[in-house]
Amino acid sequence: MTTMTMTEVGGPVVPPVEPPLAKPKRHHRRGRITLWLAVAWLAFITVSAIGANFLPYIKHSCTQYANPKQCSTAVKGDLLKIEKPPAWAWFAHPEKHIGKGPERTGWFGTDRNGYDLFSRSMFGARNSLLIGGFSITFGLLFGTVLGMISGYYRGWADRIIEVVTNILLAFPALLLAIFIVTFSDKPDSTSSASDTRSIGPIIIALSILAIPPLTRLVRANTIMYSQREFVMAARSIGAPNRRILVREILPNIIPTLLSFALTGLALLLVAEGALAALGLSVEAPLPTWGRMISSGQERLRSGIWWPALMPAMVMFLTILCINLLGDILAERFNTRETIA
Amino acid sequence: MRYFLNRLVQLAIVVFAVTFLTSVALRFLPGGSDVVVALKTGPGATAAQAQAVKHDLGLDRSIVSQYFDWMHKFVTGNWGFTFQTNQSIKTEVVRALPISAFIMVYAQILSLLFAVPVAMWSAYRQGSKFDRIGTTTAFGLLSAPNYIVAPVLMAAFSVQRKWVPFPSIYAGLGDPVAHFKAFVLPVVTVAIPLYAGYMRLLRSDMVATLQSDFITTARASGVGTWSILFKHALRPSLFSIVTAAAVNIGALMGGVVIVEQFFLLNGMGRLTVESIFRREYPTVQYAVVVLALIYVLVNFFIDLAYAWIDPRVRMGRALG
Repeated sequence: MTTMTMTEVGGPVVPPVEPPLAKPKRHHRRGRITLWLAVAWLAFITVSAIGANFLPYIKHSCTQYANPKQCSTAVKGDLLKIEKPPAWAWFAHPEKHIGKGPERTGWFGTDRNGYDLFSRSMFGARNSLLIGGFSITFGLLFGTVLGMISGYYRGWADRIIEVVTNILLAFPALLLAIFIVTFSDKPDSTSSASDTRSIGPIIIALSILAIPPLTRLVRANTIMYSQREFVMAARSIGAPNRRILVREILPNIIPTLLSFALTGLALLLVAEGALAALGLSVEAPLPTWGRMISSGQERLRSGIWWPALMPAMVMFLTILCINLLGDILAERFNTRETIA
Repeated sequence: MRYFLNRLVQLAIVVFAVTFLTSVALRFLPGGSDVVVALKTGPGATAAQAQAVKHDLGLDRSIVSQYFDWMHKFVTGNWGFTFQTNQSIKTEVVRALPISAFIMVYAQILSLLFAVPVAMWSAYRQGSKFDRIGTTTAFGLLSAPNYIVAPVLMAAFSVQRKWVPFPSIYAGLGDPVAHFKAFVLPVVTVAIPLYAGYMRLLRSDMVATLQSDFITTARASGVGTWSILFKHALRPSLFSIVTAAAVNIGALMGGVVIVEQFFLLNGMGRLTVESIFRREYPTVQYAVVVLALIYVLVNFFIDLAYAWIDPRVRMGRALG
């Protein structure tokens, strides 16, 4: 199959949602320090995302929006709509932007609404991780069920699932996402490129992107395991199909799925940002990383780099750490042999 | 021969399915054809006027008949005009194609140019400092999405140092300097993840090849390093990187929307996405069918190459 060979090769294909199935083997063990640094960063981001409302290092005093819990905040006592560079950025010249003497503030500086970018990045982490987490969970759930049905029972169910999977994979990923996201728009909007959505449609779009490759992965694994001797043994003592699927095959697939779940999560976080870059993200005050980067980009030309690049840095580090963990997991479970 | 025909039929089905689904999906976008009419007539049009416009554009017919009408137009080459600006759709597509092609070709060349030697040396001196730095860099680069790379490059080279204009101003091959300035940043943005992917792919294959017996034999019989690397080890290791590069030809043609959008280059990806937003149904369909054809043809040739290299493929694979 065309598409099979494609996914086997994986590599740097541009559409963001296909997990690269072929991962080069690492021959040296990565240092423990790297691992723990990655875990520490992810823990920090997760804790900040959950506790953004009350953690002391995240400023939160925002009153402009209908739902204050969901937006992040203005720096205390400063409602001037000006952007200030981060406190450590000695090379940025705030007087050019403010006009009343140098002033630098916050770890990440402030954006044009006077919001503290660090706080906003942490609130963004909440939305981004929610979107990514839910999408990969749905993707795994449906992908596992469909893949196991298709790989175990074969027959007409397999045919149907495979045809649909192939079509979804042949469809340009970004187009698919755009279609799904815009379906949920209000009919009176003449342009689809407006950020007026709740998180739901984004999650649905990304889940649909995640399902086909995961289905294919699970299917291939299921086919492989259902020919193994322990499955035959279970069948010969009269175990029902449901039991074989859940008790014999599923536990064998889970390690593979787990390492792909992390890679998938990273890819979906990237995909959310890609949608945001096209103006297809969540409702205006809600920050996600992708949204912050794309809305910060228009200021880049004026030399105001922090609104785009600071959240970009947070996002990059997070994706890097997730990929790192995924890689280490894949190495530990040695998933390569199960795919080929 | 049977195999090729089989493949051709399958590919035709994929193209048909993708274009048909696109056309259906387009019509089901919120607001449907009313949005098209509203965009065309402007506010305050009477119902009769709207109906006339709708009829004019052929939007009052069934989706299936619209699809076959479109297909007829596509096959006969008479592609018609855009709804709102009344431009020739063919001209628009023909204008967008070379931009995408330039980005794709340059990015592929650039990434392969760096990836191949780095991967070879990394594999040869596996575990060395060079290898560790190389693999770590590649790993890091893979984690940087293009909408992060693009602003960094642009902030560095268009704002801090005003070396290249932003947004990119398209220039053909006739003006090499302007051409270079227009494409250098987008191409580097696209090439970075490509480089990382290719490098990792070739490195792992090369490591495997270098462990095989014929390399040991060659080395034992006193063949020099360069000769081993280039004459003996490179060719058998090229298989997956060539495949990946080929697959990327199709993927890159329409798949760099974000980069095109960021640098304001009107390539195929941007044409498609903007047309969706403006509800230019036929334009989207033509763009999608052109992209699908490129994608499918490239895949077809990859499969032919497989079948040529490995006769087992011709007999059908054991696994799905």
